Amino acid sequence: MLRIVDGWKSYGDLQVLKGVSFEVGEQEVKVIFGPSGSGKSTLLRCINMLDPLDKGEVHLREQNLMAPGINLNAIRARIGMVFQHFNLFAHLKAIDNVSIGLRQVKKLPKEEARAKALEMLNRVKMAEWVDHYPAQLSGGQQQRVGIARALSMEPDVILFDEPTSALDPELIGEVLQVMLDIAKSGTTMIVVTHEMGFARAVASEMLFLDNGVIVERGTPQHFFVSPKSERVKQFLKQLDILYGSHKELLKRSNEEESK
Amino acid sequence: MFQVLPQPIEDILRVLEYWDHILAGFLTTMELYGGAIVMGFFLGLLLALLRQYGGFIISRIATGYIEFIRGTPLLAQLFFIYFLPYSMNAILEAQGLFPIPIGKWSFQTDIIILDRIITYTIFDHRMLVGLLTLALNSAAYQAEYIRGAIKSVGTGQLLAAQSLGMSRLASIRHVVLPQALRRVIPAWSNEAAYLPKYTVVVFFIGVVDLFGKAHFIVANIFRTLTTYCIIALIFLALITIISKVLDFVHKRTSIPGL
Repeated sequence: MLRIVDGWKSYGDLQVLKGVSFEVGEQEVKVIFGPSGSGKSTLLRCINMLDPLDKGEVHLREQNLMAPGINLNAIRARIGMVFQHFNLFAHLKAIDNVSIGLRQVKKLPKEEARAKALEMLNRVKMAEWVDHYPAQLSGGQQQRVGIARALSMEPDVILFDEPTSALDPELIGEVLQVMLDIAKSGTTMIVVTHEMGFARAVASEMLFLDNGVIVERGTPQHFFVSPKSERVKQFLKQLDILYGSHKELLKRSNEEESK
Repeated sequence: MFQVLPQPIEDILRVLEYWDHILAGFLTTMELYGGAIVMGFFLGLLLALLRQYGGFIISRIATGYIEFIRGTPLLAQLFFIYFLPYSMNAILEAQGLFPIPIGKWSFQTDIIILDRIITYTIFDHRMLVGLLTLALNSAAYQAEYIRGAIKSVGTGQLLAAQSLGMSRLASIRHVVLPQALRRVIPAWSNEAAYLPKYTVVVFFIGVVDLFGKAHFIVANIFRTLTTYCIIALIFLALITIISKVLDFVHKRTSIPGL
């Protein structure tokens, strides 16, 4: 459904993406992970054309998004985006954050847009908070509104750019739960995340991106049991130290002490 | 009875005898101020948007305008705009063309308050030059305040709006500007407080504003210090009110939770 072929992108002298290719099928959840600076966020921005590729192709439902003269606004309405720092519209209430796209882009009448927005907020369990402004909400609540905002446009695919990495640990769970529900309802998703529990639960394929190239790809099972490249093993080990059981961390600190 | 009044109070009363002139001057000053701040705002908003989003060439043109205005004296700008039509007329007449009819348009009205007839010049070519200069000048400063506010909103808001499929223009109009215009109020109140005082430069091209009237009163009754103190107090009161109003607007429009 979504296909990216040999994508290259650079900023000045810095080559960020070096020939990335992959395909996402209908109702598939793709998880992209990798060290910081590997080009994950850039890749997402290239897919929804906020920052088009220098070279390569992006196809959405057999439509070439890189074709000249294409209406990018119409394309972006079909690709949802959830941001690391939520990027909710600070001057609008939760309900208006969700309905603004319906009003401005889909040109729905006010009442219809509101009803739809309420439905979406209900879906992310934010129905109680419709009249709150973003600054009055916790990070987890803001991100759930962000997800509702993306869902409201009924996009073909939703891109998640590290949706939980700016959240307090206690708030990550509520957001992941909402994302799980959405994934299970058959939404096509591309998720940049280091939440391996989430990946294990819903990812059909995981891509490990490092230095602008896909180093390794496979099912969650493949990564957790028998990753091939050294780089991946090393990275997963680091994640395990940080987010996995605390045994490894304890072991290390004991080693340090005994030195 | 009046003998025992101390001299300053007598002076004040003497100056206040000219209240009809002071009122006419005040109206002129307010007309210049109101006109310049409003026209300056819309032109400044346009300049800020062009500088921020105009792309390579247009943003440079906007920057050039802003820097030129901010880098040259207001009085020089005033004289330039005032004398430009005269110079052009010399050329136009030499070419046998129709000259610009300077001084042909003038609208005056008589206001009668408490038996005093106040002849108030609503508009003439001097007022036009004054208004235009102050508006063009204020626009450059206002543009910078507005641009600062636009930048402080951050690109994330614009990206989010565009990711929903909103056009760049719609994103700026519905997402960036509502936030930027709220944020600009405290900084912008600087310009709102400066501009009434800058309007006095029009005295140099013969507009009889509050300052011009002060000059007139002094020439008549020679109460220099008292006259200028009263004028200063009027400015002080005006600017205090402007500040309070803007504080109120800022509070009323603030975003809950921020």
